[in-house]
Amino acid sequence: MSSSCLDAKETDKMQKPSLLWLQAITCNGNTHSFLNHPDLFSILSHFEIVHHPALEGTHTFNEVLAGNVPCDVLILEGSFIEKGFLKGGVEVSQVIETYAKKAKYIISAGTCATFGGIFKQKDPKNISGFCFDLEKTTPRYDTYASKLISLPGCPVHPKWLSYVLLMIANGNKIPIDSLHRPVELYGYTVHNGCTRNEYFEWKIDSKNYGLKEGCLFYEQGCQGPYTRGSCNKILWNDISSKTRAGTPCFGCTEPSFPQSSLFVTKTNMGIPAKMPLGIPRRAYISLVGVTKSFRIKRFSERLMEYDK
Amino acid sequence: MKKLHIKQLIEKIEGEAELDFTFNDGKIEDVKINFGFYRGIEEILEGKDARDALVITPRVCGICNHAHLLTAVRAIENGYENAGHKIELTSKAKDIREFTLACELIQNHIKWLYMTLLPQLESYLDCKSEENYAIKASYLSSTITKALAIFAGQWPHSSYAVPGGVTCDPTHLDVMQAQSLVEESIKFFEQVVTELPLDEYLSIDLCADLHNVGGDFGKLLHLIGSSGMSEIGKSHDRFIVFGDGILSESGKSIVTKVGKVDSKYVEESTQSGTVAKAVTYKGRLYEVGPLARGMVAKVPIVKNLHKRYKDSLITRVFSRIHEVATLLEHSKSLLKHLNLEEESCTLNPHTVAKDFEGIGIVEAARGSLIHKTIVKDGLIVNYEIITPTQWNLSHGNEEEQGIAVEAMKDSKNTDEATFIFRTFDVCSVCTTQ
Repeated sequence: MSSSCLDAKETDKMQKPSLLWLQAITCNGNTHSFLNHPDLFSILSHFEIVHHPALEGTHTFNEVLAGNVPCDVLILEGSFIEKGFLKGGVEVSQVIETYAKKAKYIISAGTCATFGGIFKQKDPKNISGFCFDLEKTTPRYDTYASKLISLPGCPVHPKWLSYVLLMIANGNKIPIDSLHRPVELYGYTVHNGCTRNEYFEWKIDSKNYGLKEGCLFYEQGCQGPYTRGSCNKILWNDISSKTRAGTPCFGCTEPSFPQSSLFVTKTNMGIPAKMPLGIPRRAYISLVGVTKSFRIKRFSERLMEYDK
Repeated sequence: MKKLHIKQLIEKIEGEAELDFTFNDGKIEDVKINFGFYRGIEEILEGKDARDALVITPRVCGICNHAHLLTAVRAIENGYENAGHKIELTSKAKDIREFTLACELIQNHIKWLYMTLLPQLESYLDCKSEENYAIKASYLSSTITKALAIFAGQWPHSSYAVPGGVTCDPTHLDVMQAQSLVEESIKFFEQVVTELPLDEYLSIDLCADLHNVGGDFGKLLHLIGSSGMSEIGKSHDRFIVFGDGILSESGKSIVTKVGKVDSKYVEESTQSGTVAKAVTYKGRLYEVGPLARGMVAKVPIVKNLHKRYKDSLITRVFSRIHEVATLLEHSKSLLKHLNLEEESCTLNPHTVAKDFEGIGIVEAARGSLIHKTIVKDGLIVNYEIITPTQWNLSHGNEEEQGIAVEAMKDSKNTDEATFIFRTFDVCSVCTTQ
């Protein structure tokens, strides 16, 4: 697998590409996340919605199941299972493959459709993402790789999806990484832009939940420093993020999501077991040695002191 | 007498369901409601750390995930208490949780009004308007979930409620932003949904005065009334509420008599032909949801409608939209009185009970949501989730038909019946967790 760019030439010729949103094993979280987009209808105006789980489309679900509706852009939501999940008497996997073949772009929206996600844990042998099973490729990968864009996240961030849709509508190439994630969205870690960064730098942990002060990486299980995603650059609901609201990042964009004991940082000799992305353990430990040798008064106080 | 079977795939109900109608002499006699796929969240939770439920259970449902989070945290807190760790939430933590739950309910009800009810009714009555109802749904639901996200970090799928409180530590700046968003939502409700000032709308106690309601809600009520649909969709007239909250205390209402309930009498059972489990209380079927809350809480306008129309379609539909007004007003007052000086989380993070059993109950958009957790040595050994839709959509038992089935019975065509079905605000994914 190597990094590649999707060919956008085809798009130039298209008049209003048709958009089909299909669901497999899902909670609908991606559907509802996208409905929160403040510019939803201007984004969708570039497409002809063939069918969508909540919005009105040009075709009924029965027509979709029959396999004959147009599909230039296919959005997939939910984990994939080859056999045993039927809608209207038809295997969902077959419906997906029918349109995946037709589509010029396949967007796997959310961690379930991309890597398998939470629902994979019910039946790890048979349930996976559409083209990836955790980090490994599925047998379908080779067929669809040339048109695949991965948007992991539980759920997908509405603005990440709109970025891809608008890049397609504008006929732009979408630069992606080896797991087919757009680099402009997943080049960041969730840690980038976190309002607690200063506490991370000085290795000061949060003493409890419900405080503005302290970093959640040392005790509370935060996976932000090694999780790819721009949650703290492109804010959720245009206003916040988990870590800004004091909740640890659970690594929901990663192939390994969900791991276990999510509210606890696993440690080795008092040092987080998993290092921030790309940081050698030795470098990290050297920094800890330096920062821990100072006591910065400001970091032992509340961020804001109110008159009593 | 001629029996006729018709199968219909119902979509846009947070997934799909298949309705299998049996007509007898031109009238619906029975309906089998089938949901396709069991996702096994309860099994996925087994063997995980007790608190992981705060991350996993919201993923039961994309539209009511926040209710699952709050139910899960209550179940753990109840378990900690049963294990001897006293937990006292500050009023700040309680109010923030109540506020974010209210935001989610508003989001839910508004999407139902604009993305399900109005378009479905117009197409059933063959009077399709050119209106983009979805843009209204999206506007209000994204505005109010933004207010939610100020405290919870994001919607959907926040995990900001933890044993002992909430993870956020809001400032006055945050609260003011949330207040503006609630004000904006109230403006929308006043100008677009009802064409009435909120206090004026909330002062309506008699159905004779409902003609004053304009806007899209007024249009909906008018469409139902003028098409003779007010009286259809009656069920067993038996309601239950388990979660104590702003909309109602817990209790049950049979016809008009309100009494107490105890969640220990709730029983789940498997049903043939569907992966959804049925639920009963002391062996009897009950309707849950906004109409149940309105009846148990004796909301004057709901009682007045019920007096005239019983538990018919119009009473059920009205009760759900009416909650939006109550919730908006309550949200405003919650924010106004929020005491930021209190602690957000009172439980030391190192206080973790290892062995416990706990139950959490919350009134979600569609009714009572129950989580039960059994934890041994810090790990979940059993997790049980009972969702509102399971109450309303069960097939029934030997004595009587299920709540929604009873409501559809005697209808003469499947279009009318499926509309009645949708008035329960069906959630497919919650039914098949």
